[in-house]
Amino acid sequence: MSDRADGGGRSSGPGGTPAAPVHLRPARDADLPAIVSLLLRLKRLNEEFDPLLKVRDDAEQQARQVLKADLANPMSVVLAADGVGADRGKVVGFVRALVRERPFYAPEHEGVILDIYLLPLYRRHGVGEYVLRETSNALKAKGAGIVTAEFPAQNEIASRFYSKRGFRPITAVQARSL
Amino acid sequence: MAQGAPSRVDPVRAARRKPRDRGTAAERSEERTDLLGERSVELSRYFGGKIETVPKVPVRSLEDFALWYTPGVAAVSRAIQADPESSFDLTGRWNTIAIVTDGSRVLGLGDIGPQAALPVMEGKALLFKVLGGVDAIPIPIQVESPEQFIATVEAMAPAFGGINLEDIASPKCFGILEELSKRLPIPVWHDDQLGTAAATVAGLLNALELTHRSVRTVRTVLLGAGAANLVTARLLLALGHPARQLTLVDQKGILHAEREDLDELELHNPWKYRIALTTNGGGRTGDLAAALEDVDVLLAASTPNPGTIRPEHVRSMAKDPIVFALANPVPEIWPEVARAAGAAVVATGRSDFPNQVNNSLIFPAVFRGVLDARARSIPDEVVLAAAKELARGALRKGLSDRHLLPTMEEPEVFPHIAAAVGDTAVRLGIARRKLSHDEFLERARTLMGRPARLVRALARARLTPPMPRRRPPRRGTR
Repeated sequence: MSDRADGGGRSSGPGGTPAAPVHLRPARDADLPAIVSLLLRLKRLNEEFDPLLKVRDDAEQQARQVLKADLANPMSVVLAADGVGADRGKVVGFVRALVRERPFYAPEHEGVILDIYLLPLYRRHGVGEYVLRETSNALKAKGAGIVTAEFPAQNEIASRFYSKRGFRPITAVQARSL
Repeated sequence: MAQGAPSRVDPVRAARRKPRDRGTAAERSEERTDLLGERSVELSRYFGGKIETVPKVPVRSLEDFALWYTPGVAAVSRAIQADPESSFDLTGRWNTIAIVTDGSRVLGLGDIGPQAALPVMEGKALLFKVLGGVDAIPIPIQVESPEQFIATVEAMAPAFGGINLEDIASPKCFGILEELSKRLPIPVWHDDQLGTAAATVAGLLNALELTHRSVRTVRTVLLGAGAANLVTARLLLALGHPARQLTLVDQKGILHAEREDLDELELHNPWKYRIALTTNGGGRTGDLAAALEDVDVLLAASTPNPGTIRPEHVRSMAKDPIVFALANPVPEIWPEVARAAGAAVVATGRSDFPNQVNNSLIFPAVFRGVLDARARSIPDEVVLAAAKELARGALRKGLSDRHLLPTMEEPEVFPHIAAAVGDTAVRLGIARRKLSHDEFLERARTLMGRPARLVRALARARLTPPMPRRRPPRRGTR
């Protein structure tokens, strides 16, 4: 990943609000509180899509533990998106991804994008593109031969985002209550 | 109104008797609403509804049916088949609109369904005719989804010169209006969005004038983020109101780009989501009190509760604050309370206080204008032209803090609004018929003046029964 990249190509947001570019970097322990809160926003958004994605009462505690474990795991990729300019030093988004083995398929390793979230003001205008590119590079550097993304089946915004960038559905997960 | 034949046509007059000087304003208002409601049920039963269709051609004998109906009419059909646009010349389409609702948000009654919405739509049709000279057909429809609503209205469009959407819940009303405006070759209007917003903007422009402010520098808070205020925000931005200095407040507090419910809004109310991203440049968070500090203007279109805005809220605003408390039937703060707290200009949605912001000042004239221009749509430029002309109309009797907008008693203003609408449609290239300003004005005067004469003539001839005394005997009307 480049040392000083940004969203690139952002001129202005809707209504003339200056669009805010972001700067992605590997997350640190100090970022955890901010990332936990963003992760919870994402999970609550997911809950909107399906009642089987209901957020647990202890989700915040879980998020802290999961993220802490991720930071310690060499096969994990956790990136923090910093605001720039006036928002410098503020974490405005994050990516959580993991390289895992595919015992039966080639290529042998896939990089799975588990969670990706940007605060609303930092979306569009190429920011997502940039985040996806940087994440893919980080996963490739850890040996991934393909990149996959998990998100709620009903999330059409995510679905459109990925299919526009060459992704296609390869496995489906269906669920029902027991 | 006196018993017997109406001396003049004014459907809002009944609701305008001065409250008697006893009890609190809220009690008076409630008591009066109850009385009006009781009487309205009686009269609805007595008259069997409020509108009927009447032939506009002579019928001298049954032989004339051969002209108005088959076989003669076949040639008229063929002519329209050959030139579909001629339906505006050869049928009543040029002056006929549909009032369509799914009954999902009727007045303050909520989701009462299409059938129960019919009396409201009939009332609106009456207003359209009497105030605008527009033939409006009430069509409440039973549908299960916005998609079905859109398909149904699209299917009925060939019969109409315009569509008035009415009493549809927010936020689905935004998507329905947007999609229908895109699909239909005729103007589509949703009064709860556009009519209220246009009247609000008109009032605000004059309030700014009175207090020597400009829309380009003013700081404004919108309380309530429903159909009306989201469009008011959009219109203000179009007028050059700085986005950074505009703040919306709803039940969850100040709307800002990092509020917890933004993702949910992106999915379910993208219109509010977009406004959240562009406004509130100072990144204010918190409640109404935090939003109002040092702000010039408060435009409230929220819940009918006079405690929603408190005197200390008004006191915390900038010098000479402007306060519009537009909830109906009870404003968010009583005008005298707002004034005592320092408000320089106060407006409400009610006719029994000065400065009524009333969409009836807008919609009849807008439809008169778009129908006379045979417009294809109603873009925001047209809405703003109507708002500005309404604001200008107040100058005729002199602008003051108690005469911010023309009242319904100043009908000479309305043809001018219609003409401004027609002019704008021509300028934007969406008019099928390009009249001059004077032609639009003259036509609007004629067509808007006719219904009053019609109603008087019907009453004189006793074709409209006189207003009965209270508790009329039941009588068949069919």
